[in-house]
Amino acid sequence: MPEYNKLNSEIAGKLCAVVGERRFQLGDQVKPDYSHDEMPIYGKFMPEAVCLPETTEEVAQIMRICIENKIPVTVRGTGTGLVGGCVPVHGGIVLSTEKMNKIISYDMNNMVVHIQPGVLLCDLAADALAHGLMYPPDPGEKTATVGGNVSTNAGGMRAVKYGVTRDYVLAMTVVLPSGEVMKLGKTVCKTSSGYSLLHLMVGSEGTLGIITELTLKLIPKPIKDVSLILPFKDIATAIASVPAIKLANLDPQSIEFMERDIVDSSAAFTGNAVFPTVVNGKEAGAYILVTLVGDSEAELTMKMDRLGEVAEQVGAYDVLVVWTDSLKKDVWAARSAFLTVIEAETKLLDEMDVVVPVDRIAEFLVYTHDEAVKQGVYVRSFGHAGDGNLHIYCCSNDLEEDEFKRRVKALMDKCYAKCTEFEGQVSGEHSIGHAKKEYLRQSVGDTAYSLMGAIKNVFDPDGILNPGKVCHDI
Amino acid sequence: MLNILVCVKQVPDVNLVKMDPVTGSLIRQGVPAILNPLDANALEAAVRVKEQYGGTVTCITMGPDMAEEALRECLAAGADRAVLLSDRAFANADTLATSYVIVSAAKLLGEFDMIFCGKESLDGATGQMGSQLAERFDASQISSLSIITEVDLEHMTVTGERELEKGVELAQATLPCLFTVEKTHYRPRIPNLKSWKASRTAEITRFSSKTIPGLDPEQIGDPGSPTKVPRTYPPQVGQAGQIIDEGSTDKSIEKLLALVPELI
Amino acid sequence: MKHKSEYKDMWVFIQHDGTAVEPVSLELCCETRKLCDASGEELVAVIVGKLPEAELEKVLECGVDKVIFVDGTGYEYLNCDAYANLFTLLCRKYEPTAVMVGGTIFGRDFAPRFACRLPTGCTSDATELVWDPKTTDIEFIEPAVGGKMMAVITVPVMRPQVGTIRPGTFKYAPTGKKDYSVIHETVDFPVEGIRTKILDFKADEMDESLKIADAEVIICLGNGLKGADALPRYRKLAELLGGKIACTRPLFDRGVLPFKLVIGQSGVVVKPKIYIGFGISGAVNHVTGFSDADKVIVVNKDPDAAIFNYCDYGIVGDMDEVCELMIEKITAARA
Repeated sequence: MPEYNKLNSEIAGKLCAVVGERRFQLGDQVKPDYSHDEMPIYGKFMPEAVCLPETTEEVAQIMRICIENKIPVTVRGTGTGLVGGCVPVHGGIVLSTEKMNKIISYDMNNMVVHIQPGVLLCDLAADALAHGLMYPPDPGEKTATVGGNVSTNAGGMRAVKYGVTRDYVLAMTVVLPSGEVMKLGKTVCKTSSGYSLLHLMVGSEGTLGIITELTLKLIPKPIKDVSLILPFKDIATAIASVPAIKLANLDPQSIEFMERDIVDSSAAFTGNAVFPTVVNGKEAGAYILVTLVGDSEAELTMKMDRLGEVAEQVGAYDVLVVWTDSLKKDVWAARSAFLTVIEAETKLLDEMDVVVPVDRIAEFLVYTHDEAVKQGVYVRSFGHAGDGNLHIYCCSNDLEEDEFKRRVKALMDKCYAKCTEFEGQVSGEHSIGHAKKEYLRQSVGDTAYSLMGAIKNVFDPDGILNPGKVCHDI
Repeated sequence: MLNILVCVKQVPDVNLVKMDPVTGSLIRQGVPAILNPLDANALEAAVRVKEQYGGTVTCITMGPDMAEEALRECLAAGADRAVLLSDRAFANADTLATSYVIVSAAKLLGEFDMIFCGKESLDGATGQMGSQLAERFDASQISSLSIITEVDLEHMTVTGERELEKGVELAQATLPCLFTVEKTHYRPRIPNLKSWKASRTAEITRFSSKTIPGLDPEQIGDPGSPTKVPRTYPPQVGQAGQIIDEGSTDKSIEKLLALVPELI
Repeated sequence: MKHKSEYKDMWVFIQHDGTAVEPVSLELCCETRKLCDASGEELVAVIVGKLPEAELEKVLECGVDKVIFVDGTGYEYLNCDAYANLFTLLCRKYEPTAVMVGGTIFGRDFAPRFACRLPTGCTSDATELVWDPKTTDIEFIEPAVGGKMMAVITVPVMRPQVGTIRPGTFKYAPTGKKDYSVIHETVDFPVEGIRTKILDFKADEMDESLKIADAEVIICLGNGLKGADALPRYRKLAELLGGKIACTRPLFDRGVLPFKLVIGQSGVVVKPKIYIGFGISGAVNHVTGFSDADKVIVVNKDPDAAIFNYCDYGIVGDMDEVCELMIEKITAARA
């Protein structure tokens, strides 16, 4: 059990000297936002201070002060996480990367970009496009920082074609808990050179080191793309279509599913009723949204034809073509707003981000819905049908908070057990934080869990980096 | 069978046009050309009328060759026929000259009972086309239409709601009637694969100044446009305000509240 | 065709509902008075139907030189058929150099229509009017291309020059009554020739939030707004300040807020005591919509945004964060 110290005025003074008064918040000055992420149900924890460094050197200096004084350090981007990953559960300081938001340079010949970790995903995506390139990972939360995306190995809507954030991290600069600065990885595509510390850092949720610079791989942006909406009778038939769509050799960029009730909520909330609810006279109960890319309209037309055939076989009510830029913007904006919509219309909220084999998505959702009914909470779900990654939100507007937590725990215990039974993963892209630790242990088993703990101990023997997270038990 | 015309325009997405900070000229390169958003609402209104009462929907536009793309979008979303009026001689037309060309061509296509257009365009935004088309068609007009409530084919009248400054008016007009359509009710549909594919290869009827018989060259393009734009200039920059920067947003806002105590 | 020098006098159409004159008509009288002073022409008010004495006085106070009173059938309610016919006949008879029409929905309907019938040029939404002594033309100056530039529009050959101007663009600043002459015209339009009927009218009374023209405090949102889901905090701030939410044109185009909330050249012109703009780039077609605000505060994350050139106070920062902190600080300060 590590012993942590409280921040005294002397240490605070030293920290403040590193970043300057304007980028340092202490005690009462700390904005309440730093006490939680987007899932406040897991508790709010105020940091004793917040540092907003701008450079690797400042981060290193902060770490040296903190390790010497045994002050916990929790790294935070924009706080859009969903498992309490950036919440300082054991106090200490929050090190926010908000001010480390520079896109440093592009290397067009090698198609890489160097950035600071606090760059927002939406800013990187837009800037890359302006350079004629694409940053393929596309998580729904566009105002997350890229550093946060790397720390959680975020996936997103285009993972089915391009893979996840991990696949685009070529190199990084890391500050270790000791304050040492280390460069991991190179701007080349292959390596067979020892254990990959780089990949250990990806998805480590700020528990092993602090990422202060990133080198990311980009790709040429696709020449043409089209999105297609396939409305279905219900979620089971919608999900049943996914293997057939994947087998049709279309190499889709994304295959998303959404249930009707989230689509309705989104339309009511944003006033943007872009998904048709009645198609050819039939009420749609669920939708599959597919994006195809290609080099020419002819290629896309061929792929769309093939998708059309598949759609007919699997019982889609129709295939709607989202071709114009304005329509694409509307459709994807509606899709990206789902979580915000749920947050806005729900008083009490908890989530699961499980991954199950694609052919068992429907079964898992039906199971979850049934169990939710038994517990008296309601469920909103959407997610990445193409890779089996489901975003399931457990909601209530009338229960007391403690009662809600009790019921959701009962629900989740069953669902995560079912997920394990299906050979699934606890989290596809939202990570473990402190909220899902127990479910991680149950899913991976004690041996793997304690191996993770041992690795954590090698990097951070004093346990000052984001304590109490992932596999770190105190 | 109602004969319905929808007049559309392809416009630059002006929200994406930027000004070169050095030269003060507009950067139009890379700015996508889109179907004027309100025209998409107008088309949807027309297609719904067709579906309910029967008829055909023709869409028409005047513009360069690339305006074909806007017409294909209309075909995908339910128009039966598309007409492109393209000629260098049509260039630099104001609303008077444009309405002259469109109505001259439309008269070759038949008698229209209902004519729809968007309330205004994204780029010019004069909102005058509807009235001038109505005038040249000698049609009644219902502007700022939010929804058509009834088409009475027996008495050849149409009833619809208009969004006026101070309320909603229920107006009735005799056919032929021209409507300028609001965004409110007629959300453009997303075409299905079948109609989208058909729209990509559909034939588009084309007219030039030479193929519209009797077109008066004095009434088209620049010569036919009584309004001129003798010059443009960058907007004058106003008085720069005081930027409040007290180091943190927190402190800046406290300073702002001190400077503008009315806020409290 | 007659040469333009043979036309004389500038007209303003006085739109009214039998009880009160539309403010925009008075604003236009005042602005057109200045043009007439420059050109040496007479300012003529065209009044169709009966107007109460006190309302007529308001028109005369603008320094009108002549009034044309029109009576006859067909003018009981505003309709394009009778009014377009009337103005075509009157313009042909009296040959004015200009006809100014308030940019109400009706004005924007019938003015282009009679201009087309005459035919002559019609402009809309000018934000500045200048009489050019060299050409004797009126320069209708207005923001164009989404406000990225200013365009000067003229009607160099034909007459009259017809212009519709948005309510609130110009000030009602009467220069005082003058001696004026009167012409009476009777023009009957057959009632059966009116092709549109008003079956019903429901006044908007419920949605006060859509009436921004007279709001004292305006929270205006620009294209920097992430989406409709980001709105609640701004509504809260508006509520706290007793103000109303408004927006720029791109937010309407994006479908986030209704057209009635659009401030600017092609929207509503406002004159609030306090205007707070969030995430607004500063295109002139928007800026012209609030140029008479007493205090302008703007927030934008881009320190180079043009909007900072039109404010009293600016804060560079994330709009959502600033909004939330403003709510917090104002609430705290009041407590």
